[in-house]
This record gives sequence, C-alpha cells and structure tokens, in this order.
Amino acid sequence: MTTPARLRLAGGTVYDPAHGVDGVVRDVCIEGGRIVAELPAGAPRLDVRGMVVMPGGVDIHAHVAGSSVNHARRLLPEEHTADPVPAPPLADGPPPRSGTGGTVPSTFATGYRYAGLGYTTAMEAAVAPLAARQAHAELDDTPLIDSGFFVLLGNDDYLLRQIAAGEAARARDYAAWLLGVTRAYAIKIVNPGGVAVWKDGGRNVGGLDDAIGSSAVTPRKILETLAGAANALALPHAVHIHCNNLGQAGNVATTLESMRALAGQRAHFTHLQFHSYGGERGKAWKSGARDVIEYVNGHPELSVDVGQVMFGPATTVTADGPVEHLLYASSGRKWVNVDTELETGCGIVPYSYREKAAVSALQWAVGLELFLLAKDPWRVVLSTDHPNGGTFLSYPELIRLLMDRAYRDGRLKGVNQRLLAGSALLDGLTREYTLGEIAIVTRAGPARLLGLSQKGHLGPGADADVTVYAPNGDRAKMFAAPRYVIKAGAIVVEEGQLRRAPAGARLAVRPDYDTAVTKDVKRFFDDYATVAFENYGAEP
Amino acid sequence: MSDRSVAHVTCLGCGCACDDITVVVQRGRVAEAQQACALGAAWFGDGRIPDEIRIRGHAGTLERAVAEATKVLTDAERPLVYLAGDISCEVQRDAVAIADRLRGAIDSLAGTAAAGLLAAQRRGRAGATLGELRQRADLVVFWGVDPGARYPRYGARYAVDAVGLATPAGRKSRRVIAVDVGDARGPADADGRVTIPPAAEVDALGAMRATVQGRLVRTDAPLGTAIALVHDLTKARYVALVADAEPGPTPSDPDRAEALIALAQALNGPTRCALSTLRGGGNRSGADAVLTWQTGFPFAVDFARGYPIYRPHAGAAERLARQEVDAALVIGAPATLPDGVAGGLARIPTVAIGPRASTAAWKPVVAVDTGVAGIHEGGTAFRMDDVPLPLRPALGSADVRSAAVTVRALRERLEGGA
Repeated sequence: MTTPARLRLAGGTVYDPAHGVDGVVRDVCIEGGRIVAELPAGAPRLDVRGMVVMPGGVDIHAHVAGSSVNHARRLLPEEHTADPVPAPPLADGPPPRSGTGGTVPSTFATGYRYAGLGYTTAMEAAVAPLAARQAHAELDDTPLIDSGFFVLLGNDDYLLRQIAAGEAARARDYAAWLLGVTRAYAIKIVNPGGVAVWKDGGRNVGGLDDAIGSSAVTPRKILETLAGAANALALPHAVHIHCNNLGQAGNVATTLESMRALAGQRAHFTHLQFHSYGGERGKAWKSGARDVIEYVNGHPELSVDVGQVMFGPATTVTADGPVEHLLYASSGRKWVNVDTELETGCGIVPYSYREKAAVSALQWAVGLELFLLAKDPWRVVLSTDHPNGGTFLSYPELIRLLMDRAYRDGRLKGVNQRLLAGSALLDGLTREYTLGEIAIVTRAGPARLLGLSQKGHLGPGADADVTVYAPNGDRAKMFAAPRYVIKAGAIVVEEGQLRRAPAGARLAVRPDYDTAVTKDVKRFFDDYATVAFENYGAEP
Repeated sequence: MSDRSVAHVTCLGCGCACDDITVVVQRGRVAEAQQACALGAAWFGDGRIPDEIRIRGHAGTLERAVAEATKVLTDAERPLVYLAGDISCEVQRDAVAIADRLRGAIDSLAGTAAAGLLAAQRRGRAGATLGELRQRADLVVFWGVDPGARYPRYGARYAVDAVGLATPAGRKSRRVIAVDVGDARGPADADGRVTIPPAAEVDALGAMRATVQGRLVRTDAPLGTAIALVHDLTKARYVALVADAEPGPTPSDPDRAEALIALAQALNGPTRCALSTLRGGGNRSGADAVLTWQTGFPFAVDFARGYPIYRPHAGAAERLARQEVDAALVIGAPATLPDGVAGGLARIPTVAIGPRASTAAWKPVVAVDTGVAGIHEGGTAFRMDDVPLPLRPALGSADVRSAAVTVRALRERLEGGA
C-alpha cells in the first residue's frame, strides 16, 4: 500500500508513557505527518489488533556521522566486506542505496537499520566544530531518522582562555555562537581539559581540580562554565557530559565529584557505565554502579544514559584521545588518533567485549546494575554509546536482558566472575522491566530529556513517528523486527520490510547571544586558526 | 558582470586548500588570485573555460547529451565511474549514487595514494589536522619531501612558519630536519639534514621505531644517521613527521607508508607525534571521504553484486589495463586524470562531465563542459587533512554550466529509467 495522508492504527495495545497510557487498547490517528485526536470513520485503517504500539525510538547518544565516525569507517574495510547491505526493494520515494554494515555502517545503511529497529530519531553525540559541515553532509545521506548533533566543547583553546580570564559571560556567548554557526543541537563535553592536556604533550588530567595550563582552568571550572551556559541559554537539552577518567578502575570517585560539582543544575551524564568502576587505578577493578546510581536516584536534576557494553565486536571512537592511546597500548590493536586544531581530539580503536574476559564481564554487569537499580526510568536512557559498547543493533538483546530475569541470570552464569564480587547483579536483582518502562527508556524519556516536545509520545500534535511490534515472549526477537514503522506519517516498514526511505529532518538550535563575542573570536581565528572565520561552521 | 573581489576563497590547486585567497574579478575574468602561490594562480587561471556539449564529436543539447550518456552507461555490462579533480563533494555524492545504480565500479583520484590508505587500514594512524601542527609542532621532519614544490604554502600556513599557541615565534619556535632519501630531498633551508639511501629507507624507519621502543638495534651504517635522529624526535614536545602520499618520479617502497605510520604511532608515548601525509588537490580528499561514508571504503569500490565490494588492487587503472571495463563515466576535469587511467579510456565508449571535458584527449562519446568547483561552482571540498571547507565561486555560475546540475540530471535520468 502507498501511505495515505490519513491513517488509523486500529486496535493496537498502546504504550504512551508520556500520557500515562500503559498497555491500553486504542486507536492512534495520523494526519499530515502528525498524530491527531480523531479521524472520520472512513479514514484508511491499518489493523494492528494484538500488536504493541509505541512512539518511534529516540537514540539520545550514538556515533553515526561526522569526521571521527568516518575515520572509523575508513579503518574497518574487513567489517564492511563481511557485512554487505544490498539496496532494499523500496516501494516509492527516494531510490534505494546499497552500503555496508559492521560496527560503523555506511550512512544509508545506518538509516535503514535504525528504521528497521523502530528508531526514528538519533543524536550524533560528538562533532568537532571544525568538521560540522561534514557531519551535516553525512546526516543528509542518512535517511529515515530525524537527527542532530552535539558539538564538542570543553577542550577548545578559545573557551579555556575565557575561563582563565574569568569571562563566564563571554564563554556563554561563545558557546551560543558556536551552536548556531555549526547548526548543532546541544553542548557536549568530553573529558573536560583532558584532551587539551593530551594535545599539549601531557598524559591526561587526573582529577577535577587539576590545572590545565592556567591554575584558573580546571575540569571543575569547565563543567561549571558550560553547564551554566547551557542552562542560561535555556537549551532544550542539558549539557551532555563524558566525564574525566573514562574506563579507569576507581573512576567512580571522579564521576561522583563531577555530579556534585553541578549539584542543583540540570546536566546529562553520558555512557555512565564507563564511569562507574570502583577499585584502584592500575590495580583491582570492581563495580561502583551502586554508589553512582544511588546518587542519580536522589538528584532529579540529573539524567544519564547507560552506555551498556554488549558482548561481541565494537569500535571505540571518541574525542577522548588519551583514553584511546591507553587502549591502543594495552590492546595492541590498530589505532587512529587525530588531534583537531584549537578544539578537540579523536581516537579510534576497534575492540571486542568477551564474556570470558574479566573486565568485559564487569563492564557488562555494571551497565545492567545501573539499569536495574535506577529508580526513575525517565532519567536513565538506554544506550550502548554506539558503536563503543556495542552497536545499536544490539538494543533488542539489551531489552531482553532487562525484561527477562531468567535469561539474564543464565547469561550471568556464563561470564567471567573474577571481578564481579560486590556487584549487585550477583545478589540476584529480580527486577524485570515492563513494556511501559522500555517505552520510557527508549523513546519517551530520551525525547523529554532532549526537549523534543514533538517526539516520544502519541498525543495530538506529536510527529507521527510510530512503531508497531508483534508481541513475542523472546523480547529480543520482538524488538529486532517491528511489523510496522511509521515516520512522519509515512509507512516506512510494512510487514517487517523496509519499503520507504524518506529523508529525515535536522534538529538544531540557534540561541541568542551578545554578538560582540564574534569580534573577539574572529581576532583569535586571525591569530591562530588555519580556516578563515568566514569559512568556519556549517551555515548553508 | 561587474568588477569585484571575493575574499576567503578556497583554492584547490593542491591539497593545502588555502582558504585565504582573494579573487579579483575584472570584466568577467579572474584578474588576480591574491595570496595564491604560483600553483594556485595557475589553478585559478583567468577563469575562462570552454562551454560545449559534444555528442560523437558534434555539438548537441544537454537533453540529448544526458540521453546519449544514459544509453552508453546502461548498455555497458561493466561500467566504471571515475571521480576526477575539481568537483565538489555534492557532485561526488551524486556520482556514487550513479555507480550504485549502474552496479558499476567507482574509483577516484584518492586512489593515487593507495599505498598510504591501505597502510592506514592495517595499522590506523597517528595524525592531526594541519592547524594542530601549526599550534604545537616544535620539530618538523620532512621525510623525503620538500613541500615547496607541490604544496607551496604548506610551510608558510601550517607546519613551519606560522605562529601557534605553543609556537609563539613561528619558525624560530621550531626545528626543521630534512631527511633526504635519494633524489627525494627535504627542504634546502632545514636546520638539520639526514641522508638515507632509498634501498635502506624502510629498514631505517623500522630501526628508528625499534629504538623509540627501547629495543636494541645495530647502529652501524647505513642506518646510523637515521637512528641518531631518534634522539631529536623523542626530545621534542610535538613532532610533525611530514611525507608525501602522492607518487613521485620514482616509485617508493610499498612498505614505506606503513613504516612511517608505525614510527609516528610509536613516538606517541615518549612524546607526541603526528604524521602529516601530503595529498594533491582537486578535492581528492573529498572523494575519499564521500566514498567512505556512502560505501564504507575510500576508493576502488565495485557495486557489481549490488553492494559495495572493496577492490583496492583493482582500481580504475588496473581495470582499464585488464580491459574489464566496457564504458566509463568520468566526472571532473580530464586534465587531472592519472596517466594510467587516461590511457585506458580511448579504447571504450566514455562520457565526460566536468571542466574542459570537451578537450579530453581520449575523445569521449559524450562530453559536457562544466564549471570548476571553487571557481564557478560552490559546494564543499576537503583539505588534505580531511577538514571540510566551503567553496566560494568568484565567477557567476550564470555563464557556465553547473557540474552539480548536470550530474544530478544524469542521476535522475538513470534512476527514473530503471
């Protein structure tokens, strides 16, 4: 069938947590790409009786486009050769494209595969402003998902100078200018100050009060400045923070200190699993999940995504250059590092998480602990930090781990136990996520945290992004193959087959600021940059 | 057209992609490209280009050209799409769609640096954007290359002379070492000089790496001078190791690219180091980026099975030499084609769309002249370090046929006809 302008999804079991709808049989009406309250009786119907109806999935944090992702793609010809993606047989609309998969798929394949999972919105989590133009071009070639990106701040020399000079207002204006000129959606901080230290010949920062060049510049100060900026600018999404000391034993102390540093302020802490390890650096590892999630539970101003590790191949790709250098040194795998002028870094190491490896097993357990001990699903989002902890294709398996205790306990028995002492998972966490909770952590919650008022719910006026699943006791199978996916009112997946691949919309902000800052930034560019101020950014 | 000047223009004369050019336009021609080097000035020229459509040697309309091109390409069993120089990323994106649709092979000018790309796929790489070298490099090692010849402003804008945050005195903040490998010599004005026989180059790089890693190596000639250089490297705060990725007059050792990467990676530990690989112009780095994001592979891709297959040792030149191609679509300036590609095109029916396509020596069946990206057409191009830059056409596109519009028309014709 072609997509009619009006459509009644009739008789499905609806999960719309934003409206308190938890498994209620009702119709969902669509007109002109939006959800509407009612349609005339004669409107076209899609019979979804017996099926589960949810808003389209919203990925709050994934690496899907931009220079770092493309460096990773270029590094992985063997994965792409092993996972060809022929052009799908589409019914109408833009012609289909072929591509390749692996942990870092080509752009068209990325869009097709997201839609194939019932996801209709995704945020690229780390874009160097210098390469913003590339990120937009790649997202333009990524169909089916509405998308935006978080622009990297927190290691850039201009910002650090403003902090050193105590110019908080100018730092805020700079952040606002940068968001607008790169057409970004939110502010991302990666290892505040640590990347700058690495680029300057140091190893990394150790703690929140390490000086970065000037004693006035510390990770704490960077966090405070940018969280303050995001909140003062009333950005739809809070500052999105990748803490210092990612992946280090004992980093739970740094993570908690970072959270305390921003006490009372809205902030999002990303891939929390990678920041929730107890023990001591260079010595013992153990889970620190309980301490971290208890803090999050008690602080409603904070939100997190988990960054679950899934067993199997992954590619670690991050602006956190020093971390990737450590991983290269310890794993001996191939390694890309790209220091990015005046702004940030980029490191890439292909990786594999193995059940029989003690640290992999600990990371897997820590992520599950965070999910299972979280009290408020609205603030704890499902993510694998794709492709760092595993690809987005592993979300259905992750959902099964959360919903099916017997399955989870069975998997737990098969993993290396050496570092699991003290993990709450071993104490027998009995919790099983409900479908309603899954709808929160995969769509309603992330949409709300991103400030996407049109997404993640099925109320009148919402974007008509809807996913319909055939119920299956094996939740991995159920969530891996939705029966229907509707994107902006178009039926893009029909009977489990991708049938249309319309372009997605771009999500971006353009906050107001005092334009006096641009004169100062231009001076800095004239002195140091290799790209003209006038050529910077991604304005059309 | 009124006289004017356009500032912040990006030059695609080489991979430096200097974006500080002011183009002065008088009477509809480029009168001057200020700040441009000699190579850049030649690239801009006066902006005059032919504006013809040739179908089997005769003048024709665009509509007929597109129809004839469609026939040539759809009649072929093994068509090849080749991305030549001087087209924008936007055109390259449409060109990959055409290859995908035709189930053809596609390759680009990026393939000229195949050895380096393959080495980076095996090992990764330790790199930086050029501006980072400007900010930090206190030791610049030109390994068998004097950038003055093929990348004239590389030293002035990036690695050597420019003032950076950690290099406040510019050239005086840095030490420059030239490594001469046979005839491939470093800059004449270097502060230090090391000579390595070409036959010993890869061994020397290996011995240097072993020394950096603290492994015992023999220090006798001919590697002794190279090993002695390690002391300078590890003492520096940030090393820029600069090598030419484009082929020179004499073929380099196929293992050289990987040995350079390995040395640069090993230096990150004792100190910081970035390998800067010099790439040619015409937006070839854009072709690499676009092919990578759309297919997962940077060059030499084959869609014959309906999905991208990587054939890094069966690029355009090899396929043409083996007569595995029965038609070709060349998008971009024919003058930029490597000899191995241009030489093979005369034997098969071809379609050429791009700047000066009508002058192609191999006599295309269909030739459509277009503007030059960056002179007559806008869009995006990539610097050699993968930094994307906007193109600012100084000459109006009104007088010149657009490559973007032409290639899009061909794409739509091909997509509509299946």
